[in-house]
Amino acid sequence: MTELAAAAMANGAQLRLRQLTKAFGATKAVDQISLDVPAGAFVSLLGPSGSGKTTTLNLIAGFLTPDSGDILLDEHSIADVPPHKRNIGMVFQSYSLFPHMTVGENVGFPLRMRTRLSRQDARRRIDEMLALVQLSHLGDRYPRQLSGGQQQRVAMARALVSHPRLLLMDEPLGALDKKLREQMQIEIKRIHRNVGTTVIYVTHDQTEALTMSDLVVVMHQARVAQVGTPRALYEAPANLFVADFLGDSNLLTATIAQVRGDELAVEIGSGERIHATRSAAAASQGSDAVVLIRPEDISVTATGERTDGRDVLAGTIRDISYHGDTFKLDVAVGADVLKVRVARERGAGMERGDRVFLTWRSSAVRLLPAGDRPGDAGNQGEP
Amino acid sequence: MTALVEPRAAPLLRPARPSQAWLLPTMLLLPSLAWITFFFLAPLILMCWRSLASEGFSLETYSVLFTSPLFTKVMITTVKTAGIATVFALLLAYPLAYVLTISGGKMRALILVFVLIPYWVDIIVRSFSWLILLGDNGMVNKALMGLGIIGMPLQLLYNPFSVLLAMVQILLPLTTVTLFGAMLRIDRTLITAAKIHGASGWQAFRTVFFPLSLPGVYGAGLLVFVLALGFYVTPALLGSPRETMIAQTIMVEASQLLDWPQASAAGAVLLIITTSIAALYNRYFSLDRLWGGSDN
Repeated sequence: MTELAAAAMANGAQLRLRQLTKAFGATKAVDQISLDVPAGAFVSLLGPSGSGKTTTLNLIAGFLTPDSGDILLDEHSIADVPPHKRNIGMVFQSYSLFPHMTVGENVGFPLRMRTRLSRQDARRRIDEMLALVQLSHLGDRYPRQLSGGQQQRVAMARALVSHPRLLLMDEPLGALDKKLREQMQIEIKRIHRNVGTTVIYVTHDQTEALTMSDLVVVMHQARVAQVGTPRALYEAPANLFVADFLGDSNLLTATIAQVRGDELAVEIGSGERIHATRSAAAASQGSDAVVLIRPEDISVTATGERTDGRDVLAGTIRDISYHGDTFKLDVAVGADVLKVRVARERGAGMERGDRVFLTWRSSAVRLLPAGDRPGDAGNQGEP
Repeated sequence: MTALVEPRAAPLLRPARPSQAWLLPTMLLLPSLAWITFFFLAPLILMCWRSLASEGFSLETYSVLFTSPLFTKVMITTVKTAGIATVFALLLAYPLAYVLTISGGKMRALILVFVLIPYWVDIIVRSFSWLILLGDNGMVNKALMGLGIIGMPLQLLYNPFSVLLAMVQILLPLTTVTLFGAMLRIDRTLITAAKIHGASGWQAFRTVFFPLSLPGVYGAGLLVFVLALGFYVTPALLGSPRETMIAQTIMVEASQLLDWPQASAAGAVLLIITTSIAALYNRYFSLDRLWGGSDN
């Protein structure tokens, strides 16, 4: 494990994208993307299909040449370096293991190509890698004799064996079933902690991105919609697309009725006034905006009593569905329909047509700039 | 659950009863089966029967065949010529098929047309055109003499060289197309994977593409070799008696010597050789690959 420890200490590379642009014909697949990835970070590129995340990954790998812009690895431009000289590891969606080589030969491939290690040293490195991915006993098998999860581990071992300072992963868990996917997420994080390589992880699965990443880059229509920690993105989305794309959300069109410092009052479709906190969005009285209330921030009460720092709205249950751990409600409030989640004991007594009161902390309501309405890209990235 | 649903669903779905399940496939296969039986299987069986039962039932014809020095010599020439032609066809077709594989759209269509045009030209015409090119007064000799490189026409025809040249040219399109089909089925992301993990273009070809293309090479080689074994027109037109191949011998025996049992025996031997090559290949590489089946 000494070599692994050394690798972990050496950390990953710092990656910078500078105004990266790539067009295919008339369509821009990647449009002026700039991004700073700190050394050793686990960064996800998240977005619906066609948002440019895979193109970005292929530009970093060197399979595509950018039309303009630059890619800096540890402050050195690699835009003109061919893929095989970039010393990058990569895990492909289909694993792409070499079918005519054993697991050991697959893992040893980058060593054969990149290093002049003696047979013994290479053997030791391969064994170390197979131990890391817990496949020591399968070194002599062929890829087709392994399960999907095992092939995935072999692909990880091959990508990491030559101690690359950057590891690219292209939807690596897309082909696995849910249980195995969750198990592999934990596995990948463990390996990442072990080797300390910088990881760029492409996915369209928001849960995967939120649970695994240090930083998430949400991509939308060939551009970066927002970069941030998973919590920041979920709790403080910068725009409608991010608010709508991540998790369930209630997005209500509103007019700003009153501005008092950071405290705002907005009028929603039903004419009701609710309170909101100011976000990055500029807010002036009378202007249009959208407010975001997450379903899990809303609770249902039987009485419409108003308490300090909370808003209350009356509504009618339009629809109710059972989801095991929770019930999901659609509650009509004036012209709007709000999604609400309630615990299973609470929901058991509710029925369609019931009159209920919805309440939430005013601080949980976020104001977003209007325009760029979601729905054009919407949730099409959901699996 | 199923037990409850099934009785009601059954009349609606009308599943084929076991007694009927074979009916439709059989009816669909019948025309081609009949054709094959009458025009392929029956003559073959007749041929084998004739070779065994000319005068009573004996292996006489076969012992004559294998003790005849002429037959042995012709057989060796046939296998040798077919083998060399196959190797050269593979060597020439491989780079061509590779270029076809990596080129896209229009370029690929254009190359394919040029590969296939000669394929559609009749084999006799193609063999005959070599006579015009390589004869004493042919274009090649005329050009060389005109340039003053040689004083006398070179003997380019009626030797192993002319036979092989024409055979390779005739076999090349089929070899190329078969190899191309096999190469198309190689997953190109494997090359990408090799490159990102440190392989240069040449290394990726040598360590990944080439080994993965080998089953296709063996398949194409088998197909072409079996075809080459049965060549008749080309060695007859472009070769001397020394280049006589087995198909010519069979022809002479059947049509000139009228020794049908002997011709049948030679035909049966050729048949056994080709089927055993196919069986051997199937044992190790699975014939499915040739018609696009799965590797696994």
